[in-house]
Amino acid sequence: MVENINNEKDAYTWKVIHNDLVNHIQERPHFTPSGRLKAKQKIDYRLVIENASRSMIRFKKPERLIRMIVRVITEQVGVDHAGVLLHNEKNKAYVLIDSKGVIGKKIPVGYIRIPEKNALIATFDERRSLLLDERGVLTYDNLKAILKDKDLLKKNNELKERINKIRKEMELISANVCIPAYFKRKLLGILVLGPKISHRKFDRDEIGFFVTLANDAAMAITNAQLIENLQEKIREVEHLYEKEHRLFIHTSIALAAAIDARDPYTAGHTARVTHYSLSIADELEGHKEIKQFNKFKEDLHISALLHDIGKIGIRDNILNKKRDLTKKERVIAMKHPEIGAAILRPIRELGNIIDGVKYHQERYDGKGYPEGLKGSKIPLMARIISIADTFDAMTTDRPYRKKRNIVESIQEIKKNSGTQFDPKITEAFLRAYKKGKLV
Amino acid sequence: MVKLMVVDNERDICDFVKNFFTLRGYEVFTALSGEDALKIIETEDPLIVLQDIRMSGIDGIETLKVIKEKRPNNRVIMVTCIDDLSKMEKAKKLGADGYITKPLVLDDLVKAVSEAVHKLKPNK
Repeated sequence: MVENINNEKDAYTWKVIHNDLVNHIQERPHFTPSGRLKAKQKIDYRLVIENASRSMIRFKKPERLIRMIVRVITEQVGVDHAGVLLHNEKNKAYVLIDSKGVIGKKIPVGYIRIPEKNALIATFDERRSLLLDERGVLTYDNLKAILKDKDLLKKNNELKERINKIRKEMELISANVCIPAYFKRKLLGILVLGPKISHRKFDRDEIGFFVTLANDAAMAITNAQLIENLQEKIREVEHLYEKEHRLFIHTSIALAAAIDARDPYTAGHTARVTHYSLSIADELEGHKEIKQFNKFKEDLHISALLHDIGKIGIRDNILNKKRDLTKKERVIAMKHPEIGAAILRPIRELGNIIDGVKYHQERYDGKGYPEGLKGSKIPLMARIISIADTFDAMTTDRPYRKKRNIVESIQEIKKNSGTQFDPKITEAFLRAYKKGKLV
Repeated sequence: MVKLMVVDNERDICDFVKNFFTLRGYEVFTALSGEDALKIIETEDPLIVLQDIRMSGIDGIETLKVIKEKRPNNRVIMVTCIDDLSKMEKAKKLGADGYITKPLVLDDLVKAVSEAVHKLKPNK
């Protein structure tokens, strides 16, 4: 068979396959133009297609592999038509998804279906050994031979009827050979071959080769489906996460609104601190303490929204006092970060988001509260919120003083870099300011 | 020989159906459009028409209407898609003689055509 192929045809085959491969699997070095086989060299088309299908098993688009198999079989084996029926869940049937062949013999793609209940399908499903050969292939010649075996059929009318049904189905699609493709025990599809144009019979080797191709295609289809299912699952999980995250943010905003409502002087404070914090964070992408930037920003977002939640536990007369606080009152007011952390602690999902709430009043030099943490011992989120919080306090009216102008406030922040604030964060803050993000 | 006409915008379908029914003893004509179909109806008068419901140009419904006006005794089988329900309703009113849904079962197609042949008026 292979020996009969002339050079011209060889060259054409290679061109066909080569184009497919170059178009679709450029990353495979042995298929690049530089590794091209010489057109004059004798090519075993089986070897080429086998190699190609092996590499395409990992490929996302099994239709391409199927298209190539159908094309090469039609052209190289010289059948008058070939096609692939693939299981279709919606139609409860096997639908023709690809075909090739001479005019009038080629069955149009998408035109026909074979229902799941059909005798032909049922035979493949059951893997009836009598009607199928040892590789599970159904051939028209084999069916005719069995029908001639009068002794066998005399006792078995049901079998005779079934064979006749299958024969009729094969005649309808003018199939000489039907090759099944399974995944586990499920029949995925059928490779249908019409008679050879030369009217010669298919030899054992050829059919064996078709079985290999059908299995490769089945593998490619299954892999693609598994990948698709997996991607679907990932999308679902992402969607759920997104939903949960939104719920979290909205709950935090509601809580923040509750704090803001108690203190008319700080109305909008939480929203502004959150905005400043996120603007600073944008300047910190690549900071060595941030592992996953997006996750960090999401956490910071919630932490900033909740940073003053502890003020819920501070009495109004202290929170809204117009004169200076007494020492005793100041001690109470300074409890709000810890109260906040205590309120949030039962929400386990918050994790280290609570650190931003608890430590936003710490100072870089260790003179802050509640624990007097120093330098990088203070969680990064807290160091960011600290600058954002101070900046907003400076630039808005307070019960005990009028606001300062922006330029003054920026000077003040700069002055306190290295003492009250982390110098790196201060730099990020100034960058954000220069970009106009803090207005 | 019973004359059968297949009407479909897709040449592959016309070629396949022509070969399929020629092998089964019909004289088959193909029309790639409603316009072609109406010409063939005049010149050849195929008694059985197998026609796609969705076509560009004169669509399947319009073609059916004209065929039924000119040749009320001819049998017209409509090839439809599952989501063509409203068109199927229209075709029913216009007197379509059968429906077959794509992707179709070839055995159903053979049966639909032979039923239509049986329903032909004997004097025709």
